[in-house]
Amino acid sequence: MFFKLALKNIRKSFKDYTLYFLTLTFAVCIFYVFNSIEAQKAMMSISRSASAMLQTITQLMGMISVFVSFILGFLIVYANNFLIRKRKKEFGIYMTLGMEKGKVAKLLVAETFLIGVLSLGAGLLAGVFLSQGLSVVTAKLFEVDMTGYTFIFSPDAFVKTIIYFGVIFLIVMFASTVSISKYKLIDLINAEKQNEKQKLKNPVITIILFILSVACIGTAYKLVLKNGILYFDKMLAFEIILGSIGTFLFFASLSGFFLKLIQSNKKRYFKGLNMFILRQINSRINTAHISISLICLMLFCTIGILSTGMGLNDALNDSYKYCAPYDVSFQANGDVNIIDMFKGYGFDISKYIDKSVEFKVYMQSENKLTKGVIFEKVADLVPENYRAYYMETPLFLIRNSDFNKLMLLQGIKGIQLSENQVAIYSDYAATYAELKNCLLEYLDKKYTITISDKIYNVCDTLLMDGVITTPSSGIMLALIVPDKLVEGSTVYQTILSFNCNGDRKSTQLKLEDDMYNFLDKNKHIVDESGLIASTGETVKSIAAGQKALVTFLGIYVGLIFLITSAAVLALQQLSEAADNRCRYEILQKIGADDSLINSALFKQIAIYFLLPLALACVHSIVGIKVANDAINEAGGINVLTNIIVTAILITIIYGSYFLATYFSSKRIILRSKA
Amino acid sequence: MADERASILKLSHHINDGGILMQEILKVSNIEKYYGNKGNLTKALDNVSFSVNEGEFVGIMGASGSGKTTLLNCVSTIDKVTSGHIYIRNTDITEMKSRSLARFRREELGFVFQDFNLLDTLTGFENIILPLTISGVKHKEAEDRVLNVADKLEITDVLHKYPYQMSGGQRQRTAAARAIITNPALILADEPTGALDSKSARMLLESLDNLNKTMNATILMVTHDAFTASYCSRILFIKDGRIFNELIKGQSSRKEFFSKIIDVVTLLGGDAANVL
Repeated sequence: MFFKLALKNIRKSFKDYTLYFLTLTFAVCIFYVFNSIEAQKAMMSISRSASAMLQTITQLMGMISVFVSFILGFLIVYANNFLIRKRKKEFGIYMTLGMEKGKVAKLLVAETFLIGVLSLGAGLLAGVFLSQGLSVVTAKLFEVDMTGYTFIFSPDAFVKTIIYFGVIFLIVMFASTVSISKYKLIDLINAEKQNEKQKLKNPVITIILFILSVACIGTAYKLVLKNGILYFDKMLAFEIILGSIGTFLFFASLSGFFLKLIQSNKKRYFKGLNMFILRQINSRINTAHISISLICLMLFCTIGILSTGMGLNDALNDSYKYCAPYDVSFQANGDVNIIDMFKGYGFDISKYIDKSVEFKVYMQSENKLTKGVIFEKVADLVPENYRAYYMETPLFLIRNSDFNKLMLLQGIKGIQLSENQVAIYSDYAATYAELKNCLLEYLDKKYTITISDKIYNVCDTLLMDGVITTPSSGIMLALIVPDKLVEGSTVYQTILSFNCNGDRKSTQLKLEDDMYNFLDKNKHIVDESGLIASTGETVKSIAAGQKALVTFLGIYVGLIFLITSAAVLALQQLSEAADNRCRYEILQKIGADDSLINSALFKQIAIYFLLPLALACVHSIVGIKVANDAINEAGGINVLTNIIVTAILITIIYGSYFLATYFSSKRIILRSKA
Repeated sequence: MADERASILKLSHHINDGGILMQEILKVSNIEKYYGNKGNLTKALDNVSFSVNEGEFVGIMGASGSGKTTLLNCVSTIDKVTSGHIYIRNTDITEMKSRSLARFRREELGFVFQDFNLLDTLTGFENIILPLTISGVKHKEAEDRVLNVADKLEITDVLHKYPYQMSGGQRQRTAAARAIITNPALILADEPTGALDSKSARMLLESLDNLNKTMNATILMVTHDAFTASYCSRILFIKDGRIFNELIKGQSSRKEFFSKIIDVVTLLGGDAANVL
């Protein structure tokens, strides 16, 4: 019987539930899709390292999913409270008919359960289908080939989605039971008659608050533009807090301020329904300014994440070119012969090698030559994070002949240094503009360097072509020196770089597999020799993985934020539609015709949706500018395309919620006419 | 019997006219309103005809369910009649399209409701001026008119207040001000004293009376309260969807009129077939 009533209730109010139901379904769908990424490798031919990267992405997605589930949990509880409030009178009638509170609560639980099961089912179904499409995107991001179509289904993601949303729905059931038990029957019965009291605000305070909010936001902008966002420090935290406070104050005072502003122009204020629309928005924002501020900040995050997150990709893409000049590089501590060393361990590297160069990285003993030698001359330009640490670290030396051999292997012309000449080498500079500027400035000034009491001129070209294939770090700063100079220096590191024989890609993959199995059995080697080995394929898949990670993360969090904000706005407007219905009815009675009423309703909802978005856009302009500056240091990015993509995405999703809200409100308001 | 009553009505009209030719504001002719379907038909209004002249203060009385509110809704264009015609200033409103109806409501009708129906988001002043801003009246002129009406209804000092800050009587007089602000042909009041205490009710009725006398406003008021009805100049009694009786105040005092009303109400309460 209960179930029947619950089912009937849902069917009856299906139109009111539609938006809620669709949002839930969409959320479940997104949740499943982004947790099912690992399963997608079934469709791709993928290397060991790429597979490991996918696993990392899945783990990170898992962590983010916890955060996402909190946001969605908040949304669902919030939405459910709205729906309960809307049905107060209905519950009141059940209770006057003799239904106990406990039973009413049970009815609600049954309804929540039904809605939950329906949306979970629909969302999972949509998610399973959508994840098929997402694998094409994954394959593209990883730059791997699709092996052909396989139906992808991730049991892990499936179960996880059910558990997470199951818990959320349990919480919702609990919350609604609690809220029902708190209501008094008289309030339930009279729910429709209660008029919201208009909070009165002192206009002077409103104006002061508004000015204060603009000042807060302006200061935050100014500070963040000046300081940038490269490092998360106290300053940045302060800027974020200042900006947030400014946003809250802005919405707390905006409508009052705006009202006063328009009221001062009586001709405009007393025209058509302007007065009514303004008052409507004013009364709404006065009570909902906190949620609107939160929505504004979430939208700001959405815009920021989507437009810069995808931008980060291009930067990452550029940097990996410099990290993988050869197929494979082995690095080991001290002066060793790497091939012989491995032969000693029983592993023959030479069978993979086509052409190779082994070279040493030297440093002056007793730390006589530090990077400070160069950096202190251009101290103002040295990137801030380098100043403290790198001044004292040794300045590495590479022999001119080694360098030329390395360049030859890449098919690049080397450099011929005279006996009293050195050259500056930094592969970091290729992707790190600030470092590059600093070093170029140094070269410009024609400084000389004294090594072992001998003065050397510095060659005026900055050498930046990579010499090691490595995913993490190349050589930040070194000197290419005449061969003779290194006599008496200590060998810091030996590096073997080579290209593979046969089909270079498959040899790399084979070496990767063999090496992995070998080192798995001989773990001590890594500790003994300080071995770092990487192939170009590894570097590529790590770069691709980072790219995919950033993209997925951006879209995942961005979409969740976007639908949450839009859904909350929509629910607020819809729940208010009942109150609005009486107001619009009065307008009809005093002779406002339908077109006037429709346009008033449209304007009211449009302004309500646009306000948080507008401030979020202004925030984003500043945010994207700073983020862009930060990312630029790691390589240029193309922001415009991302902004356009973001704008389209927001317009579609946010716009759909807006239109759905408008048409539903219109339906609720005009229904009363018949 | 119906014919007999109709002839009485006609007769009373002539008396009312008293030889002076007055403009006819409202003419209701043979209207019927049915609810439900074939199987279960309810006649809410059954062949009702009457007319209201300019400057009249007409009351419609009847028990709850008698059809008085349906009648008012039909006259106010909120509801549509099943058959028959309603003319306001010689315009047949039963033939009008919804778009022109809104305009008509705005220009020719003023409403006062039992539960005030003020917009809770607007101040008293804004509530009163709203019909004028919708009609596109210039704000200077509109403001003057608001102040003028507010003065007549003695609500000048609550104009800046929101409805929830006002007393019931002030709210209802604000609603009355909003109803009269457009100088409508007809003011329709639906149980205007229903939600008021007796003192506020008296003040409101005196205000309506004042509007009726000084501004020559034509008022059609639905009520079931004899005291409220005693402020009218003529009262139509409705029972089971038909006009059952009519009372005219004429030269009698309000007290005398009141006791006449009470008599009819008592009559209405009993079984009409036995009495007549």
